[in-house]
Amino acid sequence: MTEQGVWTLAWLRFSRDRVGFASLMVVLVYVGIMLAAAIGWLARDWSEERGVSYAPPTFLGPDRSAAAAAIAEQRGPGDDYGIPDPLAADLAEIAKGLTGTGASEARSPTLAFGADKWGRDVLQKTLKGAQVSLFVGLAAALLATLLGTIFGALAGFRGGWVDDIFNWLYSVFTSIPYLLLVLAVAAVVNQKGVATVILILGLTGWTGIFRLVRAEYMKHKVREYVLAADAIGASPARRMFVHILPNVSHVVLVQLSLHVVLFIKSEVILTFLGFGVGVDTVSWGSMLAEAGSELLLGKWWQITAATIAMALLVTAFSLFTDAMRDALDPRLR
Amino acid sequence: MSARALCLAVLLQACAAFGADKVLRVTFQAAETGFDPVRVSDYYSGSIIEAIFEPLLTYDYLARPARLVPKTAEALPQVSADGRTYTLKVRKGIYFSDDASFKGARRELTAQDYAYSIKRFFDPRYRSPYAFIFTGKIVGLDAKQTAAFDYDAPVAGLQTPDRYTLVIRLREPDINFAHVLAFPLVGAVAREAIDAYGEESPSHPVGTGAFRLKRYVRSSKIVLERNPSFRETRWDFDPGDNARFRALAERMRGKRLPAIDGVEVSIMEETQSRWLAFQRGETDIEYQLAEVAPTFLGDDGRLRPEFQRRGIQLDRSTDAEIIYLFFNMQDKTVGGFTKERIALRRAIAMAYKVEDQIRIIRKGQAVRAHYPIPAGVAGHDPDYRNSIPYDPAAANALLERYGYRKGADGYRRHPDGQPLVIRYGSMPTERDRQFDELMKRSLDSIGLRLEIQKERFPEMIKLQKECRVMVHHSAWIADYPDGDNFMQLLYGPNTHESNNACYQSKDFDRRYEKSRRLPDGPERDRLYHEMTRIMELDTAWLLTDTRIRNSLQQPRVVGYTKHPVLHAEWMYLDLE
Amino acid sequence: MAAYTLRRLWQFVPTLAGVVLLVFFLFNWVGGDPAYLLAGKISNPAQIENIRRQLGVDQSYAVQLGIFVKQVVSADFGASWATNERVADIFATRLGPSLTVLVPLLVISTLLGLAAAMLVAYLRGSITDRAVMIACTVGQSISILVYILVFQYLLAYHLGWFPVQGWGTTFSENLLRYSALAIVVGVAVSLAPDIRLYRTFFLDEINQDYVRTARAKGMSEGRVMWVHVLRNAAIPIVTNVLLQLPGLLAGAFLIERFFGIPGIGREVILAVERSDFPVIKAVTVYVAIATMIVNLAADLLYRAIDPRVQLK
Repeated sequence: MTEQGVWTLAWLRFSRDRVGFASLMVVLVYVGIMLAAAIGWLARDWSEERGVSYAPPTFLGPDRSAAAAAIAEQRGPGDDYGIPDPLAADLAEIAKGLTGTGASEARSPTLAFGADKWGRDVLQKTLKGAQVSLFVGLAAALLATLLGTIFGALAGFRGGWVDDIFNWLYSVFTSIPYLLLVLAVAAVVNQKGVATVILILGLTGWTGIFRLVRAEYMKHKVREYVLAADAIGASPARRMFVHILPNVSHVVLVQLSLHVVLFIKSEVILTFLGFGVGVDTVSWGSMLAEAGSELLLGKWWQITAATIAMALLVTAFSLFTDAMRDALDPRLR
Repeated sequence: MSARALCLAVLLQACAAFGADKVLRVTFQAAETGFDPVRVSDYYSGSIIEAIFEPLLTYDYLARPARLVPKTAEALPQVSADGRTYTLKVRKGIYFSDDASFKGARRELTAQDYAYSIKRFFDPRYRSPYAFIFTGKIVGLDAKQTAAFDYDAPVAGLQTPDRYTLVIRLREPDINFAHVLAFPLVGAVAREAIDAYGEESPSHPVGTGAFRLKRYVRSSKIVLERNPSFRETRWDFDPGDNARFRALAERMRGKRLPAIDGVEVSIMEETQSRWLAFQRGETDIEYQLAEVAPTFLGDDGRLRPEFQRRGIQLDRSTDAEIIYLFFNMQDKTVGGFTKERIALRRAIAMAYKVEDQIRIIRKGQAVRAHYPIPAGVAGHDPDYRNSIPYDPAAANALLERYGYRKGADGYRRHPDGQPLVIRYGSMPTERDRQFDELMKRSLDSIGLRLEIQKERFPEMIKLQKECRVMVHHSAWIADYPDGDNFMQLLYGPNTHESNNACYQSKDFDRRYEKSRRLPDGPERDRLYHEMTRIMELDTAWLLTDTRIRNSLQQPRVVGYTKHPVLHAEWMYLDLE
Repeated sequence: MAAYTLRRLWQFVPTLAGVVLLVFFLFNWVGGDPAYLLAGKISNPAQIENIRRQLGVDQSYAVQLGIFVKQVVSADFGASWATNERVADIFATRLGPSLTVLVPLLVISTLLGLAAAMLVAYLRGSITDRAVMIACTVGQSISILVYILVFQYLLAYHLGWFPVQGWGTTFSENLLRYSALAIVVGVAVSLAPDIRLYRTFFLDEINQDYVRTARAKGMSEGRVMWVHVLRNAAIPIVTNVLLQLPGLLAGAFLIERFFGIPGIGREVILAVERSDFPVIKAVTVYVAIATMIVNLAADLLYRAIDPRVQLK
């Protein structure tokens, strides 16, 4: 059976699975959101403070308690205590030049799904957060899968001391408590923002994939088609990646998908621990990290929005993964 | 449950209510480190140490501003005419709590114990974080960092001519030395106990105070019980004119201290845990609730009705602290005394929205700090106003004027065209993230590019002391209630120690050295005013705020008010 | 088998060496200098030097590494830099609370997971099966942080069924009162992935020849499930559970932190925050050794039960 046939058959099986297909649609919607937000079509002004602090969602109505009056700047008598200001002349001229202070921006008392403490729209943050969280999940999963597959292929196929070295690396990585491993990678990586999270997740998450791919390669390398390829003079690299890899790809694909889900959830924990994205971006993890103190104040909208958005994506992705696995390997059904 | 069982349960409950110990339940927000006075520096360990050990002096519970009164000393110290000799007499009949290291005998407190306790600060083996309160002050005691300390060698500046008399000789007159003697970490320890427990001394504190350690589960639970050897002391403080204090005094006067039988401290790091525990009546006093203040405080600053109905009491005060944003005066990007750099720092200070910090991050539970010396500390001036206004428009104009033009990316550059990046130091906590966001918004309003420098706490301290942090927030709580403790933060020679801004101004330093020789009063205030203005105009700091302390107490707590200096007021309150 | 065991034991050494090196360089390179933290608010360079000397960090990397290796071999990591408590004592006292929560948690979630998984495996393909699986997927999609916050808020605060947090004196009190909510949250979080996983194990077994044979011989479906499938699926399940324990010890820090349980996970966070190297060293080495031992035990168990399994 040719490769083409396997994939076509898988696709046919997949499209008959209604739940799986629907899940794929949902995932594609999220990917669409991610791309739209990345370009700037969606949620471009997410960081604008359009609402008052903790504005409730529109369907709840505005917060009836008196808006906290701006704390008046108490400007007392301008006694300079005998010390002259080196910038006095400049500031005086500037004061003359400036007319009255600009009109303060009108802040909306409610927003579609409420506002966070700075008055930023929760709905916009959720959409923008989708971009970051999904991107982090995908990129980190790709990195982890790449590393795990390459390491697993080399270890499983070459065997011997190559295998020993990779097994040693695997043991070390899995023996260290996760928190310390994250710390180690975070310290070494020392990047800013989203790259940090992706690298941390990718560089610590390859171990599961490695183990599986290695087992698969060990299984396949003694199969006839590989021995045949060797007989006709295919180089080890060719045998690894041209011959065996396609037959292993369904395992890799499922693992990739599983890890996307895992990393989207891990990002939340990493952000809670302080290794998350910077302040110039928002992710579901940063929204949930703020949730702890907000819930006590009765401001539930941010934690709810982030949780629902994440639950929807993760559920859809998981169901999609299940359906894909069933389609690719019907024996497991 | 059968009727008989129900009756029994009710009966038992009633009996329990009568015979129950009065145990105060409180929480710490962060884990303690230990209870050996010379080994610790954190606030929470200090609270326990304050309850177990006794220094010679302390502060009157109700007097505001804080006033020194004798504790184990018979009276306030006699100071010689030249201000260098302090003579104190230890009261007779004070005993350490019983301990195995005393071999069954009752151990009386002597002046020698205080001499020993002070000497321990100089022992390099303990690497005491608070050695600085004595370093360089006492004649004959040098901070030799290498030699093993000989406790029996005579020290000229620490003499005990008789069993109860302590004579301390200082190198130079120090107006605030009496405050040092009131420091809780200068409580008396017994040499036998320290020798007996060795490295375990942090978990076996033996003191003369009102409480002693009963049970100790590290980083989790600390249980204190009444010290049976504690001398007879009665509640007797003058409430003055304060109505609240008068009501308090009426209920407490004459009671034998401590009125409660014990204290149970739980370590709870998460605010949610502490708040829920308090609401369920699992803890008695809670004052680390800044994040949830809006839930129990109305907009008028008073307790919400539903809490008042339950009898919950509220005590509001401000800590003797200041919080400030500092600029590293030695930094290549923002440091220096040229007009361009002053303009840069001034613009940032004018664009930083302190109001939002108070309103949103502190949830309104802070007051603007205008003066480096906070309320409750000698030298505070309530009328002083910070000369730096919030005016981002003017800040923008100022930057334009000094040549900080915007580049193609919309961010300003140095006048010579080099890219300009403000690096703000921050730690990986959720609280710090809020400050990051505020800093970003503030700098965006004047077109300056921001980079957050994330470091964990130990690393951040190190970088600060090495003058490698460009911009950062800092806080300082009074070690003793005198303004000098705050002004020394800007003194040039204290760079690499407490002077985070690495600020070295001859004008400031000259005035500071003069101020050290003056007692609290109008002459010193004048110097302090000038020094503050100099610092403001150089814009080494932007003072931001002082936090309001909201202490909630269950209805059964009587006689509690938060003291500006004392950590733990447990021995002065009662439970009903 | 003996040769295999010996070889695996021998492999502990390079793995442990790798862990030791990694932690050592992590800490010295980027772990933060604890001397400044220990020196307090005001300190001068002489004091910093003194502290560094006392902690032993003023010596060359080679010497420090040598000391570290000696500590690993003698299992004595000295005293915590922050609290002066002996590291061995720290472990002895924190292990109890951690296990008081983790062991019941694993047992309960495994039993519940097994029961549910068996049910859905029995009813595979039906509406119930799909509904439960989707419920599991949704349950798994919510972050553990949300579970902790919401459960604590609802069950401890609003309904008052549990104390909000804390730890007691006697074992029974700790087990029944204080660990309860932590266990409930832990079970809630791990139930969904457990059910999915065990269902897979069961389905693997159900498709095996011997099951078909048993059915052909007239055995009832119930007996097939309970007697045959469960027994054969038990090994991967039990090993799966055992393999989780070392990771959970250090990894349960979120639960321990929110519920005030003085366990190892919480100690790790404290040590990291305070740059307390002795504790970090000890935790890393102990967890690494525990993980290796458990992995080896699991592999040996597999081999003992199923001789077809080839151990390489």
